[in-house]
Amino acid sequence: MKKLHSLLLSLATLVALPAVHAAGEVNLFGWSEYVPQEVLDGFTKETGIKVNFETYASNEELLSKLVAGAGAYDIVQPSDYTAEVMIRRKMLAPLDRQKLTNLKNIGPQYRGMVHDPEDKYTVPYMTGTVGIVVNTAVVKDPIKGYRDVFQPKHRDRLVVLNDNREIVTWAFYALGLPANEVTAANLAKARPVVASWIKLVKVFDSDSPKTALLNGDVDIGIVWSGEAAILWNEDKKFQYVLPAEGAHQFVDVLAIPTTAKHKDEAHQLINYILRPEVAKLVSDKFPYTNPNLAARRLLSPEQLANPASYPQAGNLQPFRDIGKAAADIDQLVTDLKSAN
Amino acid sequence: MHAPADPAPLPGDRRHPGWIAWALLAPMVFWLAAFVVVPAAILLVYSFCERDEVGGVVFRFTLENYQRVFDPVYLRIFARSIGYAALTTAICVVVGYPVAYTIARASEVWRHRLLLLVMVPFWTSFLIRTYAWITILKQEGLLNGFLQAMHAGGGPFNLLYTPAAVVIGLVYAYLPFMILPIYGSAEKLDNSLIEAAYDLGAGPVRAFSAVIVPLTMPGIAAGTLLVFVPAIGMFAITDLMGGAKVPMIGNVIQNQFLQARNWPFGAALGVVFMLMFVVTYGLLQRRGARLAG
Amino acid sequence: MPASLSRPSIPSGLKLLNWFLSGWTALVFIFLYVPILVLVVYSFNSSRLNIVWESFTFDWYARLLNDGPLIRAAKNSLVIATVTTVLSVILGTGGAWLLHRYRYRAARGIQTLVAIPMVMPEILMGISLLILFATAGMNLGFTTVIIGHVTFCFPFVLVAVQARLQGLDPALEEAALDLGATPLQAFWRVIVPCLQPAIVAGALMAFTLSMDELIVTFFTRSAAATTLPIQVYGLARVGLNPMLNALSAIFIVATVAFVLFSDYLQKLGRR
Repeated sequence: MKKLHSLLLSLATLVALPAVHAAGEVNLFGWSEYVPQEVLDGFTKETGIKVNFETYASNEELLSKLVAGAGAYDIVQPSDYTAEVMIRRKMLAPLDRQKLTNLKNIGPQYRGMVHDPEDKYTVPYMTGTVGIVVNTAVVKDPIKGYRDVFQPKHRDRLVVLNDNREIVTWAFYALGLPANEVTAANLAKARPVVASWIKLVKVFDSDSPKTALLNGDVDIGIVWSGEAAILWNEDKKFQYVLPAEGAHQFVDVLAIPTTAKHKDEAHQLINYILRPEVAKLVSDKFPYTNPNLAARRLLSPEQLANPASYPQAGNLQPFRDIGKAAADIDQLVTDLKSAN
Repeated sequence: MHAPADPAPLPGDRRHPGWIAWALLAPMVFWLAAFVVVPAAILLVYSFCERDEVGGVVFRFTLENYQRVFDPVYLRIFARSIGYAALTTAICVVVGYPVAYTIARASEVWRHRLLLLVMVPFWTSFLIRTYAWITILKQEGLLNGFLQAMHAGGGPFNLLYTPAAVVIGLVYAYLPFMILPIYGSAEKLDNSLIEAAYDLGAGPVRAFSAVIVPLTMPGIAAGTLLVFVPAIGMFAITDLMGGAKVPMIGNVIQNQFLQARNWPFGAALGVVFMLMFVVTYGLLQRRGARLAG
Repeated sequence: MPASLSRPSIPSGLKLLNWFLSGWTALVFIFLYVPILVLVVYSFNSSRLNIVWESFTFDWYARLLNDGPLIRAAKNSLVIATVTTVLSVILGTGGAWLLHRYRYRAARGIQTLVAIPMVMPEILMGISLLILFATAGMNLGFTTVIIGHVTFCFPFVLVAVQARLQGLDPALEEAALDLGATPLQAFWRVIVPCLQPAIVAGALMAFTLSMDELIVTFFTRSAAATTLPIQVYGLARVGLNPMLNALSAIFIVATVAFVLFSDYLQKLGRR
């Protein structure tokens, strides 16, 4: 069976090969709405290289298209834990650092991260955190961590990400368990905590949790920092807090798949994005944390003051790939939600 | 399949197909084979495989996925999804039937206008439409504002992110798929039929329910199929308007691919789901055939 | 109730029923159009996040005209939905007629197969089609998207047409044949006009489903074949802005205008 599969895959790549690759184009496969159009236009104007931008909406869509061998991509934009798996599976090509002269702009704290300890395969694009956003016009008592959020008095006033791993990880933090050690024993400990928390939540939403907060249907959220940054820009009453117990930090990276056919152009585009004035354009559109320190110097004081984009230092940890345990988490949360 | 055992005499309008009839049907059969049977077969194979860390599968035989499907957790979710779909279908019949009938009775110009007007709202984007509903139903929304202006007591009501909001959203999304097939079969009814029923002394309601409704039964059945079946797998509306508090079978299947990276289990859930449908549908068809024959 | 007693009240009863039906229909149309009205009103909202009302502006319409990717996606959606509708009507109507007229051995099996795309969760259809296309070496693009769309759209046409066929007088076709028509002529000249309302209904459903489909499209598209729902989904990540409302509003107004105008043309033609 395994043979059959690899046969099918090699067949697929064989048929995909004759696709025209005219000189001077690069196929970028990235998160939708994450790479501003003016960045791509600017690159094309300067180099004459055409950028074909195809978007995906989740890491899994990226993986499934790559695994199925559909499409030919030269640059991909996975999140750190997905990149970790891709590196392990030899799906990413080593970068030629001679060509990435602007790599020096990336801050030292974003170099050699656990998903790619030697910086061999990936370049950080944007980073962010998952934290608490509080409507301070309504909630007067201080909110410092997960335990303060999940209180009976906040019942039906909470929005949280609709992401099972996130929810379980918050319980791990609250219990003082290591975030990435998802064992049966730890899950059993977290279960009652998650069960009591889920009952208090009014909305689970990963796509646009800001909506419920802006609408006034809820007062507290645990959301992506980018969402919280948009809320703060809208109204300063929305304060962002990194949970004291610990918070998830994610990094979206740029990388080149082993199957890429325009590796040279891909390096050029990555290096272009690493320029301070270009990376700044990304920050202007997406208020996540920019790992490009040279670009940060170009930001306005208002942008830098946004507590969600540039929070006070906290206990930040990455998600590691947890393999089969992802399925256990999914079953646990599904079970508890269903019992609601 | 059962043709040799089929004792029913052939009605006049049904004939044994010659090679031409088969040739004409061939494109559809080919389409079904290539884009329904083959993908379903792929899923079937995957459902017996082991998961792979990057998504996708490792081709090693296991029954584990099917053991998990029959965990009570998932059976309960199946039942809930079917319940919501059934409720939606019932409301759609009651709400949609008079509309379909009225459109069918309208003058020819208005018939097409109204038919199009039923469908046009759905040519906007699903998300935009749903956000419009959220604007209406939210706590500081238009409906609560309207009720307060009317001095209706008890408000503001908590409408959004409740099962009621989910049902409103589901009925809204599926109503056209009930109205259109009923219209299709009601359009050919003769106006004189209902008048004849009056002449025979039936009251208006009885004339309607005893004469008109039975004649449009094929349309109702078709509408039920087109609403109920897709509604079972629906979850975007329960997520957006219900706050994703209770999982539907569609959520669970999607999560296996987009969150848990467990393609084989997702495939197994799908296979069981489709098998349940095929068996039920087959039984209904057989019963229908027996009633007709 | 004896017939003689109820008889005088019949006309008013009939009227009452008609009033009730018309009133009900009006209410349902209000239900269908309330969110659309909200959506159109909010297309003039100056607030970017479009959640609370700020002030009146035409800005979003102007910006819409300059948003290349969004316009392109809308065009793609129209093209894909149109082709999907034509193919679905051909497959669905032809299939329904053949299954109705001839007694195929595998009729029941085929019938069940037709219904499977309706029950198959979109993500499963999307992923399994992706695997199929990749294995067959097909490049993703318009063709693969349309194949996916037709697969779940044509059953809707077929089911609607079948419902209509069930009440069709079998003598109709025979009469045409007796009058010397070939079976093809009989189908085209007699049967299709009879089925027309169901075909129109089926076509409308197919077009609508195709316009609004997200997940199957995700897995079967290429960059060039990005559709409107995919573009909108992407925008949701940064906040849906009123530009999308503006696009929807233009679409609805254009459709309604087109319907009214085409009627007007027909009337002119008749004179």
